[in-house]
Amino acid sequence: MAKMDQFFAEMGGLIGKTIRKPKRIYFDVDKNNLTQVVEYLFNRMHCRLSTATATETYHNLEVLYHFSHDASGDYYCPRVLITDKQKPAIPSITPIVRGAEWIEREMFDFWGIEFIGHPNLIRLLARDHPQGLDKPLRFRRDK
Amino acid sequence: MNKNQIPVGPFHPLLEEAEYFNITVEGETVTDIEMDIGWMHRGHEFISEQKTFTQSIFLVERICGICSTSHPIACVHAIEDIDNVEIPLRARYIRTLVAELERIHSHLLWLGLAGHFIGYDTLWMWAWKYREPILQMFEIISGNRNHYGMMRVGGVARDVDVDKIAALSKILDQVDEKMEMIAKAANDDPVLKSRLQGVGILKHQDAVNFCAVGPTARASGVKIDVRKDEPTDAYDLVDFKVIVLKNGDVYDKTVVRLLEIFESSKIIRQCMKKLRTANGPILNSVKEIPPGEGIGRYEAPRGEVFHYMRSDGSNRPIRHKVRAPSFNNIPTYIASCKGIPLADALITLAAVDPCYCCTERAIRINHSAEGAQPIDLLRLSREKTERIRRTIHGA
Repeated sequence: MAKMDQFFAEMGGLIGKTIRKPKRIYFDVDKNNLTQVVEYLFNRMHCRLSTATATETYHNLEVLYHFSHDASGDYYCPRVLITDKQKPAIPSITPIVRGAEWIEREMFDFWGIEFIGHPNLIRLLARDHPQGLDKPLRFRRDK
Repeated sequence: MNKNQIPVGPFHPLLEEAEYFNITVEGETVTDIEMDIGWMHRGHEFISEQKTFTQSIFLVERICGICSTSHPIACVHAIEDIDNVEIPLRARYIRTLVAELERIHSHLLWLGLAGHFIGYDTLWMWAWKYREPILQMFEIISGNRNHYGMMRVGGVARDVDVDKIAALSKILDQVDEKMEMIAKAANDDPVLKSRLQGVGILKHQDAVNFCAVGPTARASGVKIDVRKDEPTDAYDLVDFKVIVLKNGDVYDKTVVRLLEIFESSKIIRQCMKKLRTANGPILNSVKEIPPGEGIGRYEAPRGEVFHYMRSDGSNRPIRHKVRAPSFNNIPTYIASCKGIPLADALITLAAVDPCYCCTERAIRINHSAEGAQPIDLLRLSREKTERIRRTIHGA
């Protein structure tokens, strides 16, 4: 809990709407502040990136990162809302967290989100698909 | 020196599942490795969003035949996390019992494969032979040898009564005896040590950077285990040790798994003892899932399996994210394979116990791989073991 309070004290200015649950904390982060928050979580707090979830809602696309603070069992989940659904783009966190490479490639593949600064942004799973997918899978959901 | 590229896969007798590696070698040394996945993607996340919460549990059970308890446990944890659902004590012990049995059978499966890859076919036969009684135990518990269908939101589907516990105890005693024999044989064998020590080292910092999980991380000195870090089910009620080693080589990964088998056995015995006395319900009735989001995770045999669920108050998830441990562990090849001899590449690839069914959760045909000449890494690996054996035993 002390760690969580310290996180809020130091990063409070950069985070928006927050939902706190036992052992879980979900908070909004502007895409311009994302790398700063991730840097703090990964390098200062030694959190581990479990994964990231991209979701399409009625108005937005959102990317929810899941950072696990293994020493305390808490989850820190920064949420980035993307309002431009036609050309979604946010900064890549792969230069900070090496393990995010495949996670971001998967989101690029299925959701069409461009991760600016990613060292190798190519489709992960649907590359060379037999049906020759020319657009992200999310556009095929209503078929 | 000339660089050569060796393509392996996507369909190759050596590989149990469809994956593609492009290994760059200079002479005998691996200088780079590229991985290409996507042949097994089945769109589980999208399918799950068309199903009810209860159906999702059965769906995720079929992501992987080996982790057929880990995925459902993480899935029910995620659903329970949305509304903080309470689990009856007896159900908590039953979940832990089934999950730990799964760990033993998964580790034995890996141990057998590892033995086969380095030319220890006896170890392979032994490990798989003594995995059979574990599958029988599952049959006693659930009626199935795989895909047990035990997990429900709020508890478990079937009880494990006293008669079943007596039958399970008897089998476990026999398995324990055989495990000690296998562990001793593996530990005392100088050829096995020479073959595996110092091979495919994953450094501590690399394990942290790649966010590795499970035995892959623990063998590199990263002390993470969901069972201790965020104890759910009965893990806060049983006594067990987290096995952490520091070298990060294939040998340490093997030892971590071997020792974990004994810890699992210890946990199973504690659970069975408690199940004799802890009477009560096994399922709390959950009528509806309110709007919200939940994270569920569980320490599968390969590491942390992660599920995220979001509900809008209806009877089905509007988002269901699945992340299997191999998804995080497979990219560590980039760190562990560079600089090693080609004969060691196979066992290094196998050492993270990769599971592609889990990782990809489509079926894809690669036309560009036509004409690629496969190389028999299995033969190379087994020949190296044979050379070491001859040097040590002087044959």
